[in-house]
Amino acid sequence: MSESLRWNFDDLVEMAVTGQVSQPALRRGGYTPWPDGRGVMLPGMSGIVYNARVGDRAFGWAGDHVEPGVSIANADEQADFALHYLTCIGNEAEVTTGLARGAKGIVTGEHARLLVDFEPEVLEEMTIGDTVQIRTRGRGIRLEDHPEIEFKKTSPELAEAYGLTLEHGKVICPVAMELPARIMGSGAELNAEFVDQDLMSGDRALMAELGIDRMRLGDLIGIRDVDHRFGRSYRDGWAAICICIHGDSVMTGHGPGILTLITGPADRLDFQIDPGANIAETLGIRSAASSGSSSVAMGDAATGGAA
Amino acid sequence: MTERSNPTRRNDLATNEADLVAVSVAGHVAHPGFPGLPAEPAEPYRLASDGTPFLLPTYGGIVYNVSVGDRAFGWAADCIHPGVSIHQPDDNRNRGLNVFACVGNRAKVMTGGAAGTVGVVTGKSGRFSEQLIVHLPVEARTSMAVGDQVLVRAEGIGLELTDHPDVSLKGIAPGLLGALRAKEEDGRVSFGVVAHVPPHLVGAGLGLTSQGGSLHIQSTDRAQLAELGLDQLRLGDLVAFEDTDSRYNHGHLRGARAIGVVCATDGPRAGYGPGVAILMTAPGEQLGSFEAPEANLVDLLGIED
Repeated sequence: MSESLRWNFDDLVEMAVTGQVSQPALRRGGYTPWPDGRGVMLPGMSGIVYNARVGDRAFGWAGDHVEPGVSIANADEQADFALHYLTCIGNEAEVTTGLARGAKGIVTGEHARLLVDFEPEVLEEMTIGDTVQIRTRGRGIRLEDHPEIEFKKTSPELAEAYGLTLEHGKVICPVAMELPARIMGSGAELNAEFVDQDLMSGDRALMAELGIDRMRLGDLIGIRDVDHRFGRSYRDGWAAICICIHGDSVMTGHGPGILTLITGPADRLDFQIDPGANIAETLGIRSAASSGSSSVAMGDAATGGAA
Repeated sequence: MTERSNPTRRNDLATNEADLVAVSVAGHVAHPGFPGLPAEPAEPYRLASDGTPFLLPTYGGIVYNVSVGDRAFGWAADCIHPGVSIHQPDDNRNRGLNVFACVGNRAKVMTGGAAGTVGVVTGKSGRFSEQLIVHLPVEARTSMAVGDQVLVRAEGIGLELTDHPDVSLKGIAPGLLGALRAKEEDGRVSFGVVAHVPPHLVGAGLGLTSQGGSLHIQSTDRAQLAELGLDQLRLGDLVAFEDTDSRYNHGHLRGARAIGVVCATDGPRAGYGPGVAILMTAPGEQLGSFEAPEANLVDLLGIED
């Protein structure tokens, strides 16, 4: 990381928020439709997901919107919004109740619930309802010399892990792949500080053509011609850096969840393809041994991600 | 009783209209509200796409001076519904109203000062509002009150184009379908629209239900809109979304097409812009569209005032 990138880490306030491990729930009726209307019933959201972890593939699971690791929420709506709005990717979490009390984890995403990664042996000790406390830090984070660039949900640890560089006054972020703006879908109706925006994977041939189907959970993602400051919309000459937080979906207009981390004008913010740009590695979440056993080998993803 | 809309038949497309069941659905004139939502910042302000807080009229209520046929852009408002917006307080019943009522269906005021006045359904709105949009004569609106009941003769769900089974019809009244300018060539059916919206300008509504609700044209990039002439759209204009599959939710699919009617005005929020009620869709070349600058509900349905 370049010496000349000055962060305001010393000014950030660190604050605890809590949530409880959620119970998976299904809508009345239960079915989720494929684009042709065929209904399926699939697991994925909420609860403790034992076998899908950040660093693993985002596509191909027999699941819908698979949330890797442990999904936590707070039953009080206002407290839950604090959980959503204060928590940053890379923040440290700790189990404060139950058999796994004291175990440490790392926040890897924000969906309708917060997603926290724990070592597999910790998951074995956890149960629905256990409280997880997060030391939130990162709201208000900025680069002192680059006020045009806005950071969202970026912990100081993630800020360091981005591997940002400076080229001719432009901040460059390594990303595992690029997505075209025209496939950004569900979530367009929300503000950009709340959860993610799904990429639309319904055009399966396009996913294969662009190599998008090789995306991994935790991949950094670049999108051109979008402004993600106060919502997510098409805007010529802007860019966003995001992270893949949940798995693919069968539903039209849905797909892997892409959460905004950085946005700014394209003459100030750019990205370059680096297949290793995944927080499982860059945040040191998974040891070499465990990530080596994942179904997509490291460095194998996103070789054809450019739109 | 005066019929406020008199659609002229403009095509001979075969349908199963004779098999449709007409059912009553009712709603009450909605009161404007400012709900605190995950999509919005501190009440009562919303944020424009550049972060500027704004406080402007938005969906719901009786709108006296915006009607179908008027411009969709330039109002000091956020996604205003022209005419009168109705809803049901119970979610389940509201879904019945929003899904079963079809664009072009007859609506009738059943209570209050304008009781007996007849109008026509011109659109729907989606997530966070979920209202049905009804055109009623400007003069009748002055006699109406929030809470008045409006009854819709719901007819159109189940409608099919007999010779084009791959085209899914979505909440379009048979009278409106028959009034559209259409062409049949090589097994493909095409309809006249005022404008085409490229896939990168499809916004809020993506991933949400396509039975009822709406899909918005993104308007943050004003230069793009001007270049494509989309900033000239009027309420009631028919538009086609390119590469958009609206069979079950709205989403991106190359070659797919969705055709709808502009039913709400532009607004300043990111991801939003004019709301469009989708009327039909197909996953491939089965459905086409051609330029027809006069394709507006006012003309198609013969709306009088």
